[in-house]
Amino acid sequence: MLTSGLQIYNANPVFGGREGFHFPFVGLLGGWLAGGRHWHFAAMWFFSLNLLWYGVYVLATQRWKHRYVGGNDIKALQQSKNLKRRFYAWHRIAYTSIIPILLLALLSGIGMYKPAQFHWIVDFFGDWFALRVVHFLTVPTVIVFAIVHSWLALKAGGERLVDSMFLEQ
Amino acid sequence: MHSPDDAPDSLPRRTFLRIAGLTGAGWIVGTAGLTLAESVAGKLFMPVNDRLDALLLNPQKLIPEFPVSAIEPAALIENTFRFIPRIDRAAFRLTIDGAVNQPLSLDLASIQQMPLTSMVIRHVCVEGWAAIVQWGGIRLRDLIQLAQPKADVRYVYIQSADGYYESWDLASALHPQTLLAYQMNGAPLPAKNGAPLRLASPIKLGYKQSKWVTGITLVSELSQQKGYWEDLGYEWFAGL
Repeated sequence: MLTSGLQIYNANPVFGGREGFHFPFVGLLGGWLAGGRHWHFAAMWFFSLNLLWYGVYVLATQRWKHRYVGGNDIKALQQSKNLKRRFYAWHRIAYTSIIPILLLALLSGIGMYKPAQFHWIVDFFGDWFALRVVHFLTVPTVIVFAIVHSWLALKAGGERLVDSMFLEQ
Repeated sequence: MHSPDDAPDSLPRRTFLRIAGLTGAGWIVGTAGLTLAESVAGKLFMPVNDRLDALLLNPQKLIPEFPVSAIEPAALIENTFRFIPRIDRAAFRLTIDGAVNQPLSLDLASIQQMPLTSMVIRHVCVEGWAAIVQWGGIRLRDLIQLAQPKADVRYVYIQSADGYYESWDLASALHPQTLLAYQMNGAPLPAKNGAPLRLASPIKLGYKQSKWVTGITLVSELSQQKGYWEDLGYEWFAGL
């Protein structure tokens, strides 16, 4: 989604238009505008359906009750002397805040993809430029999240936590 | 509780560099490989996305318009695939033919006698930019009805004076906000924007909205050629 999105971005940069900064070709996906759009609008199905499954799973299994940041994490940040507990609280804050970001990426994307049928989405973001800026800003946000999230996971749970995510215990 | 090996700091520098290098190389090789497969991604998902577009389109629903004060004259970029054709307005004829009972050849005076529709809409380009524009002209549906289409008509081909060609689904062509425009932003349509006649619609991307329209052909089946940009790989339905 990121690399094909930046390929589309290059056709008419959000900042500065055609004279604006273009992302270097290496590492982008699609080769040209239509190719970038093909991958972007293929990947959008996996992205949005993944979010949907995740939402259904978290609701159906009632995991939402304990999975996200809560009052106990805020309390830990203010009072706890246990460094690991404090890292864990930050970890949960990061984990919780990425979900609205991903939903925002999807919502602003739908608004740009179908602005006539979903004109209320464009209105919600203000105007076309604001919509493009929000959709674009989800890119650096997700990259920073991926780095911070990995680092916090290592700090909070060490390799045992990371292994537990990817390996059978 | 933990052995020293469990500490996150224990990731050796060498291992870290190797992982980072492999990730970077994998990214570049991966995106390059997938870029070669872009037409595969298009062929797999374009039919699905085209169908979604058609499902989302409500042929009768009017897309909300903007106040005249919202028009953004400077935001509209003129994209032309070849050149601006020279058109003699006196000799100009718009033809409507194909699967119709009453083929037509109309001069500009008779087109301008038909009911004028004006709209202020967002013109959205495939490149990502958009501009709010006022268009004035006749409804394409009025013209199609004059020609009395046959029952099996499903698509509309649009020919332009510069050789550009497009095809639309009939429902989008009959949408009440799909116009053959001869006015833009309150003034006669400039030559660079498609004078004397161009398509304008809030429900399709800009490349569907042909400039310098000279011919409309109603058909029951699409041919191999679906449109200039579509034949190079762009989406055919391109609904908004």
